[in-house]
Amino acid sequence: MEKEKEEIQSRSFVGTLVGESTSKEFRLAVTPEAIREQDIIAVDAALNEIEDNGGSRKIRVWAKVQKIERINPFFPVEAGHELAETQTNPIETVLSLSREIVSAVCQVLGYELKGEESGKLESLRYPPKPATSAYRPNSEDLERVLVGNLAENQISVMDIATLSNRTNVDVKVDGHAIVTRHLAILAMTGAGKSWAARRIIEELANKNYPMLVFDPRGDYTGLADIEQLHDRVDRYYATFPIFEQDADTVVQIVNNLGYPLTDTMMTLFSDLFNATKRFYEGEGNERISWLTDRLDDRNANYIHQHEIQPDLWLIANIADAASRSIRDARDGNHENLEFLQQICWSSLPESTNPTTLEGICKRTRRAASQLRRMETVNQEIAGSAQPMPLDRAELVQDGKISIVSLAGYTGDFQATIYSIIAEELFEAKVTKKLKWPFLLLLEEAHNFVPGRATSVAEQQSIAITKQIAQEGRKFHMGLIVISQRPSRLDETTLSQCNSYIIMRMVNPADQTFVKRVVESLGEEEANLLPNLEVGEALLSGQMVNFPILVKMKEPESRGEREETNAFEYLKKVRTQTSNS
Amino acid sequence: MKLDTRSVGPVTSDENTQEDNSEVNERLTESDVQEDLLRQPQLMMKIVEKSLLVAENLRDNYYRNTASFITHLRQTIDQTNRGTRENPILQTFSVKDAIWEEFQNELVSFIDGGIGQSELSQVPILLRVGSYAVRVGEGNLAERENFGYYPVIFGDLEGGSKEREDFTDIVRITAELLGGLSALNRNSDLSVLLFHGPLVYLMDAYAGHTPFTEADIDLFLKHYSGNEEQARQLKENFLEEARLDIYPAMAGGRSDEWADLRLFEPLSWIAFLYRKLISVALNRKPRPIIAGVVERGKSRNFSEKVLLKRVFRSLREKGNQNYFNEVFGLSDLTSPKNLMDRLGYTDNLLLAMLLDTGEYSEHWRVNKSTIGLGSGQIRLPDESESSQADFSCLRDGGQFGFPSIRGTYIRVSENTEPIRIEVFSKLGEDQVKEAVRRVYLYSRLLPNYGFPVGLDIVDKFAHVPNWMTRAYDKMIIHKLGVSLQKGEITDEDMRKVLVQAIYMKRRDWIFRPTARE
Repeated sequence: MEKEKEEIQSRSFVGTLVGESTSKEFRLAVTPEAIREQDIIAVDAALNEIEDNGGSRKIRVWAKVQKIERINPFFPVEAGHELAETQTNPIETVLSLSREIVSAVCQVLGYELKGEESGKLESLRYPPKPATSAYRPNSEDLERVLVGNLAENQISVMDIATLSNRTNVDVKVDGHAIVTRHLAILAMTGAGKSWAARRIIEELANKNYPMLVFDPRGDYTGLADIEQLHDRVDRYYATFPIFEQDADTVVQIVNNLGYPLTDTMMTLFSDLFNATKRFYEGEGNERISWLTDRLDDRNANYIHQHEIQPDLWLIANIADAASRSIRDARDGNHENLEFLQQICWSSLPESTNPTTLEGICKRTRRAASQLRRMETVNQEIAGSAQPMPLDRAELVQDGKISIVSLAGYTGDFQATIYSIIAEELFEAKVTKKLKWPFLLLLEEAHNFVPGRATSVAEQQSIAITKQIAQEGRKFHMGLIVISQRPSRLDETTLSQCNSYIIMRMVNPADQTFVKRVVESLGEEEANLLPNLEVGEALLSGQMVNFPILVKMKEPESRGEREETNAFEYLKKVRTQTSNS
Repeated sequence: MKLDTRSVGPVTSDENTQEDNSEVNERLTESDVQEDLLRQPQLMMKIVEKSLLVAENLRDNYYRNTASFITHLRQTIDQTNRGTRENPILQTFSVKDAIWEEFQNELVSFIDGGIGQSELSQVPILLRVGSYAVRVGEGNLAERENFGYYPVIFGDLEGGSKEREDFTDIVRITAELLGGLSALNRNSDLSVLLFHGPLVYLMDAYAGHTPFTEADIDLFLKHYSGNEEQARQLKENFLEEARLDIYPAMAGGRSDEWADLRLFEPLSWIAFLYRKLISVALNRKPRPIIAGVVERGKSRNFSEKVLLKRVFRSLREKGNQNYFNEVFGLSDLTSPKNLMDRLGYTDNLLLAMLLDTGEYSEHWRVNKSTIGLGSGQIRLPDESESSQADFSCLRDGGQFGFPSIRGTYIRVSENTEPIRIEVFSKLGEDQVKEAVRRVYLYSRLLPNYGFPVGLDIVDKFAHVPNWMTRAYDKMIIHKLGVSLQKGEITDEDMRKVLVQAIYMKRRDWIFRPTARE
């Protein structure tokens, strides 16, 4: 008895079980300041074996402190108001300040048989005994329980965090659950979600797991700066594949860029678009010379410098050339119109109103200019990135991390670029053209998989993401969705994620949504969300044994946005300027 | 019927007609008083309640006449306070200037007792006296506060007449006094000792209880005394007084027998403890303040003996002795007692209407009716027959009697009725003023209760929790069950009653018909 007492004392006594215990929950009378909410504690108990005629086995019940309540029953509320009104310090009165009662509600996590501790927790089916002492387990025992079954499967272990209240205790999670059953990282801006994501990417990179990151803000460009990853990170800038869209979508794009086409223009656009495609796919330089001869100097020179590209410029230029050819024909010179009809636009009659074509040309050219600005910004942010490979399956390679920069593009363009790539990769997996398993990471996921689509681009990206979420596992295609506005995310996609990293979140709509969708998150954990510190996270779902509050470990890489202080940057520029 | 303002004794017609508006404060006109009463719902409810309880012919104008009467009383108080009246009807004083800074570093002890009852029956099981001592201004919590509790299981006592309903009262009074004495003995610098309830109860009602045995007293003293020697000394001091003076006067021919049996007649013992408390306080410098604080009392002592007595005298002085009869249309409203009886007034009601927040009334000697202590019956432990005893030696004022008490009423907040503070006369008149200043501040911390917060704290602390009495219930049931099983209870009816008590809920017991019926 004495020995047991000493043992408990050495393991830091934290309180005594009081009131009604159940196999799911018990209440603890707490030694003041001994524990914090979300702490893991243990209680020793005995388990009588019913079938073996009275045998009894010692067990250790593990529990999590869900809520701590502190009350001074001798300090009436109205006394507090009186003190406030008279600005009196309670110490200067006869009020009692010493009789506080601290109690905690603890959630039972499971039990281990003593002497056979493996970290695997069994479900408790009989409540722990009231008046039993509870204690803080030592770090070694705690790490064992946190790892749980994973201990037998070291290849899956990912070291991503420490316990928030005991930073000397590492929290390791199941990487297999992340790459096969999908992960959602949800947090408000500045709570540390990209930091968490980078830590996970780095851990997966250590396991050479192929990854494809869609990076709308340049958060992941720093991955390439890590020495070990230097040769394994490929950065790509994205060009918008206009010619892979149908005519209606391109019209929509032009419209969305702020230069809406009239009904008459739209009627003609489909023919124009198809003619432009044929023009692009044609062979020989004769057609290009013909085209540059029809354009003004500026546009002609551009083609001389950059050749023709499958973009909006080409559509505008063909419209321009067609308009001029029709006017020539009406003036009696049919040569150019016939040439155009011959090489790509056989159905273009002379009766076509050249003004309509001029209208299309002007608006498309302006839209093209707008799109080019986006592409330029994208390439600027992507830095030393390379253009996207024509065969997008090449984005997935053994041990490689491909980062597709989407920065600079508006939402719809980003969604379109993402869905085109994702669809191709999914198809490549289904058709076994792509053999590598891989993980697809989607930053700012609420822009790609919103709860309600408002454009064709969003409809497409929602559809492919849902498909990956629901069926990706069969094809070894994992998904990490990251969002700062979870309530705007598609519920089906989020509910398909079996693991969650949830960080600080103050928006009530986001909190409600997360509580509803993330089944493994308890009420008390959900209540913690607005009060989490930067870098603190609740891990929940299949990657952990039980929901747990952690401090994410620092990633080695830096994000593009983790820039230096604005005023320090100004100072630096000033120094450089004066030196030069 | 409206009260004729000129006919009320304390206010002369000259004073009334020469009213100087600039000096009349807002509480002094009848409409002001009516408005004032309407503003205080708890007071209005009391007046409405009283008006429904008085005779039918008094109901109609009860509120208006009461307001009118109060208006004139307020005017006389105002005149007295301004020095324009020679024979005051009521003097009031303000303690609004009391501040906590005055009382820093004082050690204050609060005492209260709580009784726990079994769910099995209404028989009290357990008494728990609590004490809460606090040093005002002390920031170190370990040094600042000290809680103590002293449990007494009624069943453990051999003496006292357990069949009497007031048995628990004499045990509680004894235990609370010992708690107070203990606080005084343990703290040589105790500044204030406050009891929850009257400092001295109406003791004549408690005469005739079977004396406590020495074992009972040992049980009490086990908890209260600082050490065994102190306990022994206390017992021996009492027994010596009892043997030489008290028992001969009380028990006549059996006094030596009482002394030989080392019995502690409860009232003599309680009176001894009061005297002990006073003597310890008298020997302390500075002298500690000892007071009892009473809430929601129905007492009429102050109104009858002081306030209305002066009103009637003043009326008679002016030949207006029939004034109340004329107002209320009755013929017997000629004395304070009759007026109080017929109109249902109490000290609390009248003073709630007369005192402003932060005001207290002049103190008076509280009549504790010890005059009723006279000859009676008493039965000694283990005796079946009662014998004659004379309790008159315990009347206040006597050498071994109960101490005399001075009291005052203070109104702490607008939301609450006045509370009564009682102090020992022997400790000096300063006790009233000093007690009032502190009680006011302690009570301001509970403005909706208007009672010292320390007594509220100790009341909660001393409260016997349900789980404790439930545990006793279970123990009793277990023991009864074992006795039944062992065949120790043979009486058939008793067995049936016990079985029902153990296995049935109260409702089952009362309403379930038996098969025989």
